[in-house]
Amino acid sequence: MKNVRVWYKKDGAARYISHLDVNRVMTRALQHSKLPIWHTEGFNPHPFITFALPLSLGFRGVKESMDMRLLEDVPEQEIISKLNQGLPQGIEVYKVTEPVMKPGKIAYGKFDIKLSSDAKTPEELFFMLRSLLTQDTIEVEKHSKKGVKLIDIKPQLGDYTLEKLEDCVQLVITLPAGSVNNVNPSLLVTALENSNSIEVYADITRLDVFNEEGKSFE
Amino acid sequence: MINKDVEKLLLKVQKPGRYVGGEKNSVIKDKDKVDIRFAFCFPDVYEVGMSHLGMKILYSLFNSKENIWCERVFAPWIDMEELMVKNNIPLFALESGDPLTEFDFIGFTLQYELSFTNILNMLKLSCIPIKSKDRTELKNIVCAGGPCACNPEPIADFIDLFFIGEGEEVDLEVMELYRQCRENGDSKEDFLIKAAQIKGVYVPSLYNVEYNKDNTVKSVTATHNAPQKVEKRLMMNMDDCYYPENFVVPMIEIVHDRAMEEIFRGCIRGCRFCQAGFLYRPVREKSAEVIDRQCHTLCNNTGYDEVSLSSLSSSDYTKIEELLTRLTEWSKDEKVSISLPSLRVDGFNDEIIDKIKTVRKSGLTFAPEAGTQRMRNVINKNVLEDELMETCSKAFNGGWTKVKLYFMIGLPTETDEDVCGIAELGHKVVDQYYKCEGRPKGKAVSVTLSTSSFVPKPFTPFQWEPQATEEQLKAKQHLVKESIKTRKITYNYHDSSTSFLEAVFARGDRRLCKVMELACERGFHFDGWSDCFSLEKWLELFKECGIEPEFYANRKRSFDEVLPWDHIDYGVTKEFLINECKKAYNSETTLNCRQKCSNCGANKWKGGVCFEKRKSMV
Repeated sequence: MKNVRVWYKKDGAARYISHLDVNRVMTRALQHSKLPIWHTEGFNPHPFITFALPLSLGFRGVKESMDMRLLEDVPEQEIISKLNQGLPQGIEVYKVTEPVMKPGKIAYGKFDIKLSSDAKTPEELFFMLRSLLTQDTIEVEKHSKKGVKLIDIKPQLGDYTLEKLEDCVQLVITLPAGSVNNVNPSLLVTALENSNSIEVYADITRLDVFNEEGKSFE
Repeated sequence: MINKDVEKLLLKVQKPGRYVGGEKNSVIKDKDKVDIRFAFCFPDVYEVGMSHLGMKILYSLFNSKENIWCERVFAPWIDMEELMVKNNIPLFALESGDPLTEFDFIGFTLQYELSFTNILNMLKLSCIPIKSKDRTELKNIVCAGGPCACNPEPIADFIDLFFIGEGEEVDLEVMELYRQCRENGDSKEDFLIKAAQIKGVYVPSLYNVEYNKDNTVKSVTATHNAPQKVEKRLMMNMDDCYYPENFVVPMIEIVHDRAMEEIFRGCIRGCRFCQAGFLYRPVREKSAEVIDRQCHTLCNNTGYDEVSLSSLSSSDYTKIEELLTRLTEWSKDEKVSISLPSLRVDGFNDEIIDKIKTVRKSGLTFAPEAGTQRMRNVINKNVLEDELMETCSKAFNGGWTKVKLYFMIGLPTETDEDVCGIAELGHKVVDQYYKCEGRPKGKAVSVTLSTSSFVPKPFTPFQWEPQATEEQLKAKQHLVKESIKTRKITYNYHDSSTSFLEAVFARGDRRLCKVMELACERGFHFDGWSDCFSLEKWLELFKECGIEPEFYANRKRSFDEVLPWDHIDYGVTKEFLINECKKAYNSETTLNCRQKCSNCGANKWKGGVCFEKRKSMV
């Protein structure tokens, strides 16, 4: 028995499916692949898979990972090609490794956020976003199972770079991500919308996730 | 392909996965290299439409032809519709992202009457004129098929041509004719006149309907040499019939998220309320060998770990045991489960229990349909109470504790006694549980009784019957509720107001087209969804149009009345239906097709069950 970490991208049409959907899509790809996967032994056996950290619906992911357990050794290339044959366009496995870190150790995520608006030029958006990021507090409503609560996300913001591109503004930022503390980058987009009363289109990509020490998840 | 403008809306709507395509096995072709583009439209949301087997069959069949590209279109849910209208985005097909105006054919499947408004709404969202006569060019041919095409009249003004019966052959023939007509530079009218000569094609604009003073139909006359009676098409050899090797595998969860394998068409039973039982005659089976092969291929190609054997009554498949044996040979090892829906009360034998026990133990559902033996005889649901009790005992002894029973209320000749019988039957099932020695110890039984309101349908022996009024139906629901004395029974009932509208459209005529048109203008859609349906609004529309809906729903017709669908021919003769109706009044049952031929007329196709050797003869 061998644990492996399967690395994949989530993009294209598949970025519009939820985490639960990804789970189902992966389960089906495993069934399709006929790879020797360990199944749970409960009342309702199913392939045993765990995802490092769910990716919000609508986000692109370039370094997503899923752990599974193989009953016997299978060459990396075989796993990759067999899984990809059963996956929809947009989800693509590109690497299989031995897991090093535990998913529970994930503490930060790095996001690429491209913002555009029908009503504002990239230049105007750039200044709006810059002034938002330099405010003392950034208050935004956070919806959770317990209800809506007003939080200040300013102290949570990590390093960032802000750049004006031809047709959009690009913000690359590190935010808390994980099971303990999590700031969804879309909160920042909402804050931008609210403080300027505009509608913004955000194209968000999760570039990587890190542990507490800032080490890239592997 | 996701259009840029659409992409901007996706994060503002529920379940954006409905609108993006890109699923495994969806078909992308080069639009410049095909002759015909067919937009297969399902007039409901993605999750419902994607669960429909007919669409999967035709999608794969059409795309198996090099010169045809068939794409899928679903009705956008109300949140998406609103944004699309606001942003001037026309309805699009999932594969190419192109608007429907770019398609040669816009084909709708008619699965339930309450989806009719969605058809018109989808045309409206595509900026395509809803009326056939306002679409003058030879393009965007709006066609429709499926069970509700058996009475096409309420939407006759909107649809250019209907496919009557099974579509595997006739659809392709019509597309080929279209290709030729376009090459010849024919007009749309030329094309329709020629299409009407193809068997199974009904072109409503070629038929004149006259009415009597009392608003009943006086006559329907064919013009331009169209056939006076349009006979359905059907596939006689199921083993040779096209079946997909691949399904489009949705990324989001849909209603029936599994592989589906058709095991036979038609039904031997002849339950008198059931339209499908008459429309799809005669019964034609696939061989166990072919079913087994197709199931295995489908699972291999899709990655589904569940395959459902689909038919109107799976336990009537003659080689069910052979089939289950074949299937379990590979399905166990490959961790694929087999589900057998539509089990009859009398078809639940030990063999089947053993086979389905290996699968998850969810609830069991049976449909006795009526509460008393007299009532079941009237509807020809030939199930005895003893059989139901025996079946429940088997289930309880086999470890099940949940049983769901389906019934109808408002059936012809129904009395209060019959209605109370539903609750009584529920009580008997509860008692049966505690009589079972092998029942799961320490667990309580749960019996769910569900009633739906009977809707008389064309081509059934009850096509002349009035539907019970809403007050009557409500009283009946109340009566069932009052008669239940234990909390081990849960009672659910289906809203009677949607059944009323269903009854109006099921047996409507062309006069309803103006109501439909007004409904479309007023933005009616998703009438099958409680989020959108409003009977009050519909009643207002009828009033405005000067039409009494009760005329269609609650009126008893005489046997000699010309029915709006009399010029459509499903092979089952009117004499047979009249005879069945009369037998129903006398609580007389009719034997099933395998016991004795009742001479319904379906034997004219020279095949299927009509020519099987009966057990009593061998």
